Amino acid sequence: MTTLPPLPMTRPKLTSLARQKLPCSPGTIPRSQLIKEKDDIDHYLEVNFKGLSKEEVAAYRNSYKKNICVDMLRDGYHKSFSELFALMEKWDALRETARVRSLLWLQRPLEEQPDKLDHFYHYLTRAEAAERKEYFEGVYNNLYALACYFNNSEDKWVRNYFYERCFKIAQLIKIDGGKKEAEAHAHMGLLFEEDGQLLEAAEHYEAFHQLTQGRVWKDETGRFLNLLACESLLRTYRLLSDKMLENKEYKQAIRILIKASEIAKEGSDKKMEGEASYYLGLAHLAAGEYETALTVLNTYSKISTDLDDDLSLGRAYEAIAKVLQSQGEMTEAIKYLKKVVKIARNNFQRLDVVRASTMLGDIYNEKGYYNKASQYFQQAFDTTAELTNLREMDETKVHYGIAKAHQIMLTVNNYIESEDLTSLDYLLSWKENRGSIVCDPTIGESRKSTMESLRQVPENLEEERSRFPDNQKNET
Amino acid sequence: MDIIYPLAVPKGRRLCCEVCEAPAERVCTSCTVTYYCGVVHQRADWSSIHEKICQLLIPLRTSMPFYNSEEERRHGLQQLRQRQKHLIEFCYTVAQKYLFEGKHEAAVPAALHSLRFRMNVHGLSSVELVPAYLLLAEASLGLGQIVQAEEYLSQAQWTVLKSTECRYATHSLLHRNLGLLYIAKENYEEARYHLANDIYFASCAFGTEDIRTSGGYFHLANIFHGLKKLDLADTLYTKVSEIWSKYLNDRYQVLSQARIQQIDLLGKRFETDTGLDEAQEAEAIQIMTSIWNIRESTSNTAPQKTIFVLKTLFMLYYLMMNSSKAQEYAMRAFNLAKEQHLSVHEQNTIEELLSLISAEEAHPIT
Repeated sequence: MTTLPPLPMTRPKLTSLARQKLPCSPGTIPRSQLIKEKDDIDHYLEVNFKGLSKEEVAAYRNSYKKNICVDMLRDGYHKSFSELFALMEKWDALRETARVRSLLWLQRPLEEQPDKLDHFYHYLTRAEAAERKEYFEGVYNNLYALACYFNNSEDKWVRNYFYERCFKIAQLIKIDGGKKEAEAHAHMGLLFEEDGQLLEAAEHYEAFHQLTQGRVWKDETGRFLNLLACESLLRTYRLLSDKMLENKEYKQAIRILIKASEIAKEGSDKKMEGEASYYLGLAHLAAGEYETALTVLNTYSKISTDLDDDLSLGRAYEAIAKVLQSQGEMTEAIKYLKKVVKIARNNFQRLDVVRASTMLGDIYNEKGYYNKASQYFQQAFDTTAELTNLREMDETKVHYGIAKAHQIMLTVNNYIESEDLTSLDYLLSWKENRGSIVCDPTIGESRKSTMESLRQVPENLEEERSRFPDNQKNET
Repeated sequence: MDIIYPLAVPKGRRLCCEVCEAPAERVCTSCTVTYYCGVVHQRADWSSIHEKICQLLIPLRTSMPFYNSEEERRHGLQQLRQRQKHLIEFCYTVAQKYLFEGKHEAAVPAALHSLRFRMNVHGLSSVELVPAYLLLAEASLGLGQIVQAEEYLSQAQWTVLKSTECRYATHSLLHRNLGLLYIAKENYEEARYHLANDIYFASCAFGTEDIRTSGGYFHLANIFHGLKKLDLADTLYTKVSEIWSKYLNDRYQVLSQARIQQIDLLGKRFETDTGLDEAQEAEAIQIMTSIWNIRESTSNTAPQKTIFVLKTLFMLYYLMMNSSKAQEYAMRAFNLAKEQHLSVHEQNTIEELLSLISAEEAHPIT
């Protein structure tokens, strides 16, 4: 028996609404009939209405995370599931520790980021399917895609995890002659480098370099892998040597840098070679081996000239000047420094100008040419003022002040030594207005004598020096 | 075993059969509080559970004695409650044991008792009823009464659905049984869905590599095996055997270390055990043996895997102190390794196992 009407029924809207509120059929019906009717209704609904299926209900009721996991499992991707599950647990643990550490923490739980879960699902299941077919390249590609997806600052550990997985998988890939393995080594090197474990990083980069030697592989952006390997290796070597220089292990640092420059030579990239020799030169300088430093730095400057690279030429000259200065060959050093200033000027490298001018000023200051020294310091100071770099400005200010003080000191000393009334007047007037002192023409002539007297009274100089910079500062 | 006279029984006592709830005709003479509709049900109940709990039922089913003070009354009530709880657990374990031994028929009365006491203590819509429902469903499945099983499972599912706080372990059990039900109904799509849920919940409760999670993997593997997706089933079987092998090996390590220390202290031998309860042991044997059977049929292609399973079985029986079985499996593994010309290392490890068992026999544990 069918109590329900056939489906296509047109009723006015109001009636149909009212009908929904009424019980199915009026009057009292015996229980047995009701049960029968219920079956009919069920059948009717099943046939004519596409309601929510069980899965749709489950999808709605459960968390997205659970749905993803269940989807993986029902198709038998149990490895992906264990992996994802472990990652999620770690994610939560990290969140928890971060939450304990600071109140303001913005990382959302993974459940609230369906995009990421979708990515996990997509790539992990593909990787597992490929693994079942022992098609390791597919595994690698999928895992690598995941690693790339998580390449942002807050999910760094996920990326690192997948880099490690890639590395393990890549060692099984033999068909492509080791390209994947090389890439995996590069990633591992990067991982360790970021972590600050430079020795391990260098090891991986070395393997990377060795695997790419003599190959014409390119990465996605079209750069040669071999070149990339050289670059990364040099970078790591440089960082390593920096650390060693800090610890005063000069010999080791130099050995590493020599290795680096050899690699750079093989890499047949002139610029890189130049860089390598620059750092080698600096290391030699730090170790006190001036002659070798000079020859190495000269090759650097030569390479830079060949390349028409003014910036590195500037750097080369600066380094050479430093070496010469340490050797005590001031005139040579000054010559180089002047070149540096000129080059930097031309290229608007203001910081370089400041550095070079300060060095020049220092040299002149030491030699006693205070006029020149203050001139260069002023130059440095003016440039920093243009840069509006406060820290630098303060530093050059002090230098400038010292030079200026030295300059004034000569005249003051002269006045004091002459012991006559006019000189006293000068001194007094200077003391009152603290401006620049009027220079007596006679003083320029008697510079020699004052220079001598200066050396006789060093305490006096110290005192003056400590007093004047402040004064100078106030002025500026 | 007497016929009862309804007018002679105390007032307010329900005269219905303990097993089927039909009007009762007979009474158990030793406790006089349990009624049956006929000899058949009485026998069934006696052999299943009543023999063990006959005397325990008396205080629960007679009216409480008259207590003089409030304090005594409270104490009496507390005692009653404790007795009930104890009975619940007891009946549950008994039923579970029967199930794992494959005696489905015998499990039903015990499970029913557990369910009834649970209803008394926790009420009709409590989550506590779910384990009992699941037992009954499993027993019905074992007896081939699918409709009955479905009814119990629906009941359980509804209870879980309504309750807000329900442990992951319970969810997992429910889904496992639902999965088994759908396997029996040959609806593999649904079965896979439920087993996936089972694994998920079990992982939430115990972790992905726990032996309690392995059951879900095993059933899932069986489905794929039945569907002829052999590579898929293979990875899942591998996973299950790895889980068990890891557990048993860890257990063995712990025991052998404890044994070394124990000898130092007391100079007596330490007994081995698996650290599992009876139900889990039965499950382990069942799972590993069926995996072994499957591996055996394909052992030509992958003898390593078969040997791995055999070694796990050996460890299991060794820890259960069933040395003859352990030796049998070790011998099988040894022969297989020889036949297939496996590496020397592999053969050596199996020889080590064999020497282990012979040492055990030389010094039987007294």
